[in-house]
Amino acid sequence: MKCLVETRESVELLLAYCARKLDAENAALVERHIGICPACQEFANGQRALWEALDTWEAAPVSPDFNRRLYQRIEKEVSWWSLLMRPFRPILVRQGLPVAAAALMAVMAGALLQRPALQQPVKPQPESAQWEPVQPEQVEHALEAMQMLSDFSHPM
Amino acid sequence: MGPTSAALDNDAELMLRVKEGDGDSFGVLLDKHRSPVVRFLYRMIQNHAVAEELAQEVFLRVYRSRGTYEATAKFTTWLFRIATNLALNSLRDGKNERSQEHPDDDTDDKPARQVPDTHPSVEQSMVYKVKLDEVRRAVAALPGKQRAAVLMHKYEEMEYSQIARVLNCSESAVKSLLFRAYETLRTRLAHMA
Repeated sequence: MKCLVETRESVELLLAYCARKLDAENAALVERHIGICPACQEFANGQRALWEALDTWEAAPVSPDFNRRLYQRIEKEVSWWSLLMRPFRPILVRQGLPVAAAALMAVMAGALLQRPALQQPVKPQPESAQWEPVQPEQVEHALEAMQMLSDFSHPM
Repeated sequence: MGPTSAALDNDAELMLRVKEGDGDSFGVLLDKHRSPVVRFLYRMIQNHAVAEELAQEVFLRVYRSRGTYEATAKFTTWLFRIATNLALNSLRDGKNERSQEHPDDDTDDKPARQVPDTHPSVEQSMVYKVKLDEVRRAVAALPGKQRAAVLMHKYEEMEYSQIARVLNCSESAVKSLLFRAYETLRTRLAHMA
């Protein structure tokens, strides 16, 4: 087995071994390697000592009134909302129906005012390329005009 | 975390019930996660009063966000992300400068089982206090993200992948953070071996 402290990926194995997070098979492999590799042995000893040192640091227990204080804060937030709504509450409670009706009418009126005026349906514009019947005389005139133009353009 | 794992997360289910207006489910979540969150924040900030204040803010934010909660990740990932962000902000703003200067100010409120002997001698108590002080100072000297990674890995026993999600970085970045942090701690606390 290659020395584990040489690559960061292998160090993960050692860290996991020291944290007792390796499965039995891998733990046995690492243990066998540590037995013959002084560098890995030193690393493992250092990491185990660190783990033990960190274990001595226990956090203090949570205050018994933690929940009470939290619920008080939540209640306070809810109370703020109630306080904000308090001026409107009598109106909403006593005159709920008329107020609701008035609000509905106001919304409908607003919607009607916002609605664009009815427009006359626009007639579709005629297509630009439209076929019109041509009289034989018109064709004759056109051919004459073309001939005249051709005569002008050629040298006499 | 994929949708399947998220679906299996019982805490996420409880949170979805909180979203539907079930206050009791919030109580269950609070009872279950209060200690880990306070513990984590305490080790991050090293001041018990500030840690509890921040933990209150964490749960308050969870409660406030109940309406928009989506079970897209593990509940604890979300919870610890809020806690970590609050702790890092607090450290950055220097709200607990006093505790950083004197990290052993509140050692008196430690649990009794920290000293193995039920009747430790004065000498044992002093040795313990000195040892604890050194550990705390060494952890406090780590950069914020390294500290958070070590605390989640060592004390909360989180997987690399979850720590990565909490810290919003890649798994390899977490491994790198932990590698550097443990290396620093090993050096600083080598004399304690």
